[in-house]
Parts: sequence; structure tokens; C-alpha cells
Amino acid sequence: MPYDVAIVGTGQTEHARRRTDVDQAGLAREAALRALADAELSMADVDSVVVASGPVLFAAVNQPEKWLTDALGARMKPVVRVTSGGGTGLAGAAFAFQQVASGIAEKVLVVAYDKLSEGALQYSISTLYDPFWGREFAVGIMGFSAAYWRARMDELGHTEEAAARVSVKNHANAFDNPYAHMKKAVTIEEVLASPPLAWPIKLLDVPPISDGACAIVLARGDLAPKVCSRPAWIRAISYYAEAENGAGRSLLQSEPLQLAARRTYRLAGITNPRRQFDVVELQEPYSYFELSYYEGLGLCAPGGAARLIESGATERDGDIPVNPSGGCMGANPIGAVGLIRLAEAALQVTGKAGAHQIEGAHRALVQSGGGWANLRGVAVVCA
Amino acid sequence: MMASSPKVAIVASGQTRMEPGRADAQHIDLIAEAIRVAFLGVPLSMRDVDFVIDAGSDVLDGRSISNCGFLGVMGAHHKEESRVEEDGLWAVWYAWQKVLAGHADVGLVVGYGKPSEASIHDFYASQSEPFYQRPLGLNHLVAAGLQASQYLHRWRLDEAALARVAAVDWANAAANPRVVVEEAPSIADIAGSGPVSPPLRELMLSRPVDGAAVVVLASERVARKLSAEPIWIRGMWAAMDEHSLGAREPGSFPACAAAASRAYALSALGDPNSVDLVEVSAHSAAGELMVLEALGLSEPGAGARVIDAASGPAINPSGGALPADPVMATGLVRLTEAHLQAMREAGTNQVNRDVRSAIVHATGGLGMQNHCVAVIGR
Repeated sequence: MPYDVAIVGTGQTEHARRRTDVDQAGLAREAALRALADAELSMADVDSVVVASGPVLFAAVNQPEKWLTDALGARMKPVVRVTSGGGTGLAGAAFAFQQVASGIAEKVLVVAYDKLSEGALQYSISTLYDPFWGREFAVGIMGFSAAYWRARMDELGHTEEAAARVSVKNHANAFDNPYAHMKKAVTIEEVLASPPLAWPIKLLDVPPISDGACAIVLARGDLAPKVCSRPAWIRAISYYAEAENGAGRSLLQSEPLQLAARRTYRLAGITNPRRQFDVVELQEPYSYFELSYYEGLGLCAPGGAARLIESGATERDGDIPVNPSGGCMGANPIGAVGLIRLAEAALQVTGKAGAHQIEGAHRALVQSGGGWANLRGVAVVCA
Repeated sequence: MMASSPKVAIVASGQTRMEPGRADAQHIDLIAEAIRVAFLGVPLSMRDVDFVIDAGSDVLDGRSISNCGFLGVMGAHHKEESRVEEDGLWAVWYAWQKVLAGHADVGLVVGYGKPSEASIHDFYASQSEPFYQRPLGLNHLVAAGLQASQYLHRWRLDEAALARVAAVDWANAAANPRVVVEEAPSIADIAGSGPVSPPLRELMLSRPVDGAAVVVLASERVARKLSAEPIWIRGMWAAMDEHSLGAREPGSFPACAAAASRAYALSALGDPNSVDLVEVSAHSAAGELMVLEALGLSEPGAGARVIDAASGPAINPSGGALPADPVMATGLVRLTEAHLQAMREAGTNQVNRDVRSAIVHATGGLGMQNHCVAVIGR
């Protein structure tokens, strides 16, 4: 039987559009020190380190975990980097989870970061595509994302107004999150009137680009209560893939997300996500993705997302609050975002979320993903 | 720490031939070739695979999130998948834990490298800390040369020791049907090859080749259905040394020793010389000797004696990493070679003994900063 796995410490950096006071190693160290301090542990207590960051072209250092090792104090420990596009923070946590669940490590530090001010983001993303059959046609990530949204407008009713409501909600929530650097109140009208970048994606549907890091400490279940009075338990975590150029790939629903949710829910005993979860933290690279995830995660039926956001259910005072932290709209250091969502979920279920705490939150749902919308992860975190 | 009872087995393995510049194959073809070989002769198919862990490099592939380009050929469609951006033996480390934890029964591990389509110099130089170390022009050749120089100096050895170990490796590789070697160089050829990074000469440095390797790991329940005598992963561990080359211990690899020590403890392996076979990775002949020493096969500075010893484990019967370094898959190939030997399927380089246990080693980074050690056995 696997060991239970708990989050016993979390830490985030001060996120910003550009952190000129630290290099990548300093950024990662800032988050790691905060997570260790939160857990009241030192690196001597840590058996193993998982580093997660976006594609190396984002910041022009290859295999950066090797440079980070000195700053993390991880010399002579296993240090492995998991890279899985935008969801890599959660993919890194999934690896660390297995290290602890298998019993080979007692405590594992996960550090996820991106320093996006140091690279050319859309250029880097453009190199995702096949050098012979893709790059001639595709640039950056916005083009295909716009196509996805357009398809969902007609079939699922994911209107521009509904997506604008996501942007308004998450921007508003970010005001109460001390780690969110984008504090900008926006209205539905302003989102709708903002300049189109790749229609229907408009400027205010898009989160900021950030420098930032997040770290968590995982501990084996039998040791966690000795480390911390209120551990957050990861009940299950999965990260699924969908192959490229699949002729049967649906633009309407994310099949890897549905698969990840199904498996994670089964392992965590979730049969009615809308009722069983108290709070949701998910990664919305553009506003409309959040609508799609409502459906993929089973918070509403396919085609029900617009009504769900309009009903106010996903607001902080609704019955299924989504992104009380502000999500990506508050801070978007891409490689760290998946881990930030997990850390925020841990803060919520342990009552440590401060001004954006959801009262009585006990069970949280986490989603993150990357690639060309083909890598999707889900986790369930409980008090 | 858990007991060392074996719970995860290597039930299949496969690799491409290792050749500099496979102009006939793209990355996807290399991966397909290794997977096809792995599933030959085992009653398993891609349908039985629960998850995929792969190892490759965005920089070598010239492509961001390059695993996304290969998910289909890796059979990862609609399965759990993750990319470890380090040698494939670290991907095995991940997959081993996932099966050990009981979260899956069958995992496919893929490692591949096509350095012929990239600049291996840039691949390593871009790993270097960008402010103080990179501007010095530090790359893997310079790092290997400095380390070799420190090694020879510290243990009062001369260049002949390096030529000797390289010659043994090249002779072994020439006998290995999976490595393309036109003609194995003699000691004199090696000692007379062009100086690259003193004291290292061209034929004392690892030769980049294109290639891919895969292993299939399975839970005890599945493994026992497939074989009366499965080959288990008994223990694995990894350790990273510090990045700053100047701050590392001269003439030895303490990170390799740290990884070995934990791997041996998990495997309940007392004397590393009691295994039948050792497959190690290295960027240079000096690096290979330092690894053999760090693995505890000899006293420090006496690694050359391990190569020549009449008794003790067979060392790198595949030829090791000097004649064939499919960057990002090199350590994984050490595992597939050890697995072939244990299955008595190595072919013309099959060792003349029953291979019941083996130590496998991988390395990564500038100046071999990172090390991973696995112990496998029946």
C-alpha cells in the first residue's frame, strides 16, 4: 500500500512582471526558504528535490536545476527537473508525490519557477510546433487557443460575455491575495472593449506575464503530524497527455482533463465534485479556459459553464468558489502556476489563506495543464 | 526506510543501434525502433502500458516541450505521461517509484538523443551558470579536461592510464552488435589522437551518437506472470554535486559515491564487487575511472585496476559511454545493456558468466555534476 502524502509547508516569492533583484537561482531560493520556514524544516531534513520549470528557452539556461542546486542547498541530494509545459508545477508535484508515496523518500522539496522577463515567451512557445509541418502555420499559443474558443462559442455557449465574467471575477479576487502583483479592477464592458489579440481573445482575457516561484514540502503521512499541526493531504494527483495531431482530438472538451479528473476522483473518492469540493484552484491561461475546465472537471454539464459563472456559484461567496486567489490573472509565472494552485489549495484547506480564505474549506480541487492544451493534471487536497 | 524486497521488475527493454549521425531516422523513428524491439518476444503491447515517463532535451531537439511531439509514438495518448529533462535512467527512477507506490502496474520509460542535429557544445555551454562561469567559455570538453588533469595529478597517474581504459571500451564496443564502430582504435591510436582538452585526447572523450532506448517496468504481480525469474530493480538513488566547477572536490565524484551508497543500502548490497556486471557512463576516460572508484569498486585512484582485474564484475561489456554517447539516453542504454546480459540476449558481446546482478550508472551535466545508480538482479 502506498504511504499517505501531506503538504507540510508552502512558500511563494513576491511575484512581479520583472524581478531585477534576483536571478533564477535567487528566485527559486526565495520560494524554497519560505516553504522550509513554513514547515519549520531545513534542507538537512529534505531527502530529495524536484525542480519544475517551463521550457528552457523561456529563460535561456539549459537544465537549470543544476545551477539552482547550490542556491537550494541541495548538494548531494537527488535533484531532478520535470518539464511539462505550463502545467509543469503540478507535474513536478506529481513526481514528488510518488517519491513519498513509494516510501523511498520521507520529505521532498518541490520548487517550481519561471522568470519570464528573461526570455521571449511567444517565440519560445512557437518552437513547440513540428519544425517541418507546424512552424510554417502556427505562431505562439494564442492562435490555436482562439480557434478552440471560437468552436466552443457555438457548440457550448462559451460567449465573450461569459469569459469576461471570469476575467472580472479573478481580477477582483487578486486584490486580496498578497502574492498577486496584478491588482486591476476590470468590468465586463472593459473586457469586451479591450483590444482583440487573436479574436475572440482580447487583452483583458489574458493574464500578466510574471517572474515568480513557488515551493512546497511534502512529507510521508506518518511523519506529517510531527512536522506540522495542520497538514494538507494530497489524496490523489494525475497528469495526462493527449498525442499531437490526433484526428479525433476534440476542440470542445479536453479529453486528457476528463481522464485526469476521472482517475483522480476515483482514487480520492469523489463522486459529486460540485458538492464535495469547497474550493477550486485552476490554471486559466486565458479567461475562457476556466469555462472549459468547469465542464471538464464536472462542476457542471457540458454547455453549462456560462450559466455557472453567471449564477455567481464560482464567486468567493458562491457554493463552488473558483480561484479565490485570483488565479493566473493575479500572477502568471507559467512554470510555477501549477504548484501555486496546489499551494493555494493547501492554504485553503488548512485555513491559512488569509484575506481570500473560503470559510470552512475542507476539500479542494486543483487543475493545471500545458503543452498545446494537451497536457492536463488534476489533484485533490483535503484537510 | 523501506525494506529492500524487490517489487518492480524490468520486463522488457529495447534500443536502436548507436551510430553517429543517423541520417535515415528522425527522433520519432529512433523512438519507434527502440519500442518495437522492446515489445518483440514479450506478451505485452502498448495497450498494457499504464503510463509513460520520457527523457529528452528541448535544447538538443531544438523544440520547446519536445515530448509533445513524440507522445503518439511513445504510446502516451490518453495516458499519464511526464518528461524528465535528464538522462533516461532518472526517468526509470521516477517510473520505479510510481510502480513501487502501487499506483500503476506497467510503465514505459523512453530516452532518446539525436545530437547529430544539434550543437553538443551549446547543449553543455548553455547549462553553465550564465554570469560568472559561462563567460569563461566553460563547456563539457574544458570541464572534462580540467577534471582529468586534477585526477591524474591527485593520484599521480599518467595519460597512459586514460588511453588504456578507452582502448578496452572501444574494443568492447566493436564487439557489441548495437554500436556502430568501423574499427576499434588501439592504445597507440588513442594516445596519438588529436589533443582536445589536455590531458584528454579525441578518443578519450565520449563520442556523441544518435539513438534511443526503452525499458518496460512492471509490478511484481505482472512480472511474475511474464517470467519465472524476473529481473528486479533492487534499489536506485541519485545525487547532484554543486554546480560551480571550482568548488567541487578534485579528482573524485562524491555525488556518485553518495548515490551509490543509498542505492546499495536500498538493495542490501554489501560489496559492490560481488555483482556480476557493471555498466557506467562517463564523458571521458578519466571520468570513467572516477566513477568506478566512486562506486566502491576500487580504492580512490586505482580505478584502472578494476578494468584489468581477472576477478570481479565485468566492466562495460557494451563498451560504455565513450564509444557511444546518445546524450539523454546514455545511462538508460547502460540499463538496457545490463538487462540484455542478464537475459543472455546480448549477442556477440554476451559475457561468459551468469549475470544475476548488476550495477548501472548514469551521469549528467557539465563535468558530470549529476549521478544516478541502480542495482538490478534476479
